[in-house]
Amino acid sequence: MQTFSLHIYDMSDLGRALDSQGGNLMNISRRTLMRGIGAAGLAASAPGIFSPAIAQSTPVRVGILAPRSGAMGTIGECGIRAVQWAAERMNKDGGIGGRPIELVIEEETSPKDTIERFRRLVLQEKVDVVQGLISTGVSMGVAPVAEEEGALLIMWDGTTQDGVKEAMPNARYVFRSTDNECEAVMSSLLAVKYFPGKITRIAGINPDYSYGRNNWEAFRQILKRAGVEAEMVAEQWPKVGTMDLTSHVAALKAAKPDFIFSSMLFADLPVFMKQGSAAGLFEGVNLALPAAGWQINQLKKSFMPENIVFGHNTLYFALPTASPLQKAFVDDYMGRFKEAPNWEADRAYFALAAYKAGVEAAQKATGRWPKLDEVIDAIPKQEIQSLGGPARFRVDKIAEQTFYQGLSTNDNSFDFPTLKTVDSFTADQLQKPPGMDFWEWLKTSKLPV
Amino acid sequence: MMLGGVFHAAVLFLVAAGLQLVFGVQKIVNLACGSFYALGAYFAITSVSIATSLGLPGVAFLPVLLLAGLAIGLVGLPVERLLRTVYRRDESHQLLLTFGLLLVFQDVLRFFWGATPRTLDNAYLAYGTAEVLGVRVPTYNLLVIAASIAIAVTLGLFLQRTRTGRIIRATAENREMSEGLGVNSNRVFAAVFTVGCMLGTVGGALVVPASAASLEMAVELVVEAFAVVVIGGLGSMRGAIAGALIVGLIRAVAIMVLPEAEILSIYLVVILALILRPAGLFGKAVA
Repeated sequence: MQTFSLHIYDMSDLGRALDSQGGNLMNISRRTLMRGIGAAGLAASAPGIFSPAIAQSTPVRVGILAPRSGAMGTIGECGIRAVQWAAERMNKDGGIGGRPIELVIEEETSPKDTIERFRRLVLQEKVDVVQGLISTGVSMGVAPVAEEEGALLIMWDGTTQDGVKEAMPNARYVFRSTDNECEAVMSSLLAVKYFPGKITRIAGINPDYSYGRNNWEAFRQILKRAGVEAEMVAEQWPKVGTMDLTSHVAALKAAKPDFIFSSMLFADLPVFMKQGSAAGLFEGVNLALPAAGWQINQLKKSFMPENIVFGHNTLYFALPTASPLQKAFVDDYMGRFKEAPNWEADRAYFALAAYKAGVEAAQKATGRWPKLDEVIDAIPKQEIQSLGGPARFRVDKIAEQTFYQGLSTNDNSFDFPTLKTVDSFTADQLQKPPGMDFWEWLKTSKLPV
Repeated sequence: MMLGGVFHAAVLFLVAAGLQLVFGVQKIVNLACGSFYALGAYFAITSVSIATSLGLPGVAFLPVLLLAGLAIGLVGLPVERLLRTVYRRDESHQLLLTFGLLLVFQDVLRFFWGATPRTLDNAYLAYGTAEVLGVRVPTYNLLVIAASIAIAVTLGLFLQRTRTGRIIRATAENREMSEGLGVNSNRVFAAVFTVGCMLGTVGGALVVPASAASLEMAVELVVEAFAVVVIGGLGSMRGAIAGALIVGLIRAVAIMVLPEAEILSIYLVVILALILRPAGLFGKAVA
């Protein structure tokens, strides 16, 4: 058998470069590049897997929808790199049920365009499953279409309380990520734990959409439950992607807070921290940044104060007790890209691993290649070893993963903060149980701190 | 808070001034003006990175940024050559072409600098902070405000006091007449468009240390620049100053008083201007 070397990261970068050549060429080039990655990887590394059986030689086609530009471009790129890494690794181990994985990558942009790309993946590309989506707004548009088309969709992210839950409480084909508010719940608890008596004048600066609004409200309610009597001195709601935050910084500073809570998480977070630092906003002020880990590489020590409650969500790249899987991934990722992976890598890995586990479990049970319904029923019963730790899908098709946060430190060899203390909670400690309302759960739940 | 608004206005003025200058003289509504702003930002990041690798001290960053903005503004020369094809055509052709250029530039930026927003950290922090009216503010913001004022004054003096400025104003008033008097209007247009571009690219170069360069910044700013133009009056340089200050300060006040109404507040003023003074505050004046 002919063997050859194929570096999928290089191919991806070439596809990205070709993006700039124009719309049609962009799509064709990307698809052409992505198509065959799985099969080639398998051919290169596991010749024994190929057999004359059609089922084994036909790739499992996995459609990916993720942003590659704009405020979420960094995040989407990290997820894509991780799913490519996962596909390559799984293909070396026999793919999914003996069939190689083939990725068909499309860009997540506006809801309208992404819905069109989702339909194209399902109807034209005839993918077996679609994975990805980071924006709640986009996922709210795509998820009902997945139900309508009867197409399996496993989301990486994009599921706030105001996300798909209200629109489709009993989804059949849509698997959601953990509730996006989990990280806010955790950081709120850690704020109470680490800053007792130091939270008296609170200011919030949060992105002006459901995620930011929900996180801020969750933070307020948890403080209330914890008996922290604090004054809310300022609320700022910049729209996502606002890059001139000087007036917001000035407004916060004028309010003289001693604690700032911000669930900003896109490219605007480093800008806020830089502008805030330059204006002296953080002097004598404690902070909670539940979603800072998404921008880990951009949050430079030169403007990051120490001792921030800093969230890495479901993947902390420098976890001291990391599994061999995480260590292998992080080493490879940092070696190739010279930066640290963020939690979207874990979400992307988990989506693919959960699908693989579901397919193989159903295949084992039936003794043949399983039907879609059999895969859907099998996925929630599987325990997955994801990059960030053990994970699973609940019966209501919502993910349960492990969350990592702690106090930050600049005392490390990187140019960005790491965690001085690492707290970890599982999603069942931070996420409402199936069928329960988030706000009702917040009032009555037994919180872990 | 007001200084935050003035900082925003200072950058906005530069882009709007470029837009005004080009319209005032060439009667082109340049929708691509935001692209030059973005181009300036990205090119400035590369220039400062090179300067850093050459060992230049932090205090040298501001001159590097200004020079980078001015240098990349020369891209206006070939763009103006392209625009010559539509000078005498219907305005819709000009709008389509300049909007097309905006999209083309977005892909050009993506090709050279990638899709991920880029930041420049050292330049913003290198100048430290200053005390203004009892409030600590980043010195860099003050330097940008000062640079913008200096550019506005220089541009005003150039247009009003120099022979070339008079030629430009004469061409703006009556192209045929000035050509009849021996003015090479093609050369004037090329110079004016390039200066207009430079105002935008310098604006982008100056804003990026405090902010970030992203593919979306062109579109975001062009919308605000047109708000400035509507308020100040199309083609008026004084209008650009007044409009930029109004937009910058209203935005700052809204962020302080009612953050949710930040965008709304700007466009309420635009609507008011359109109803009460459709030509803008200085609509009659031409650069």
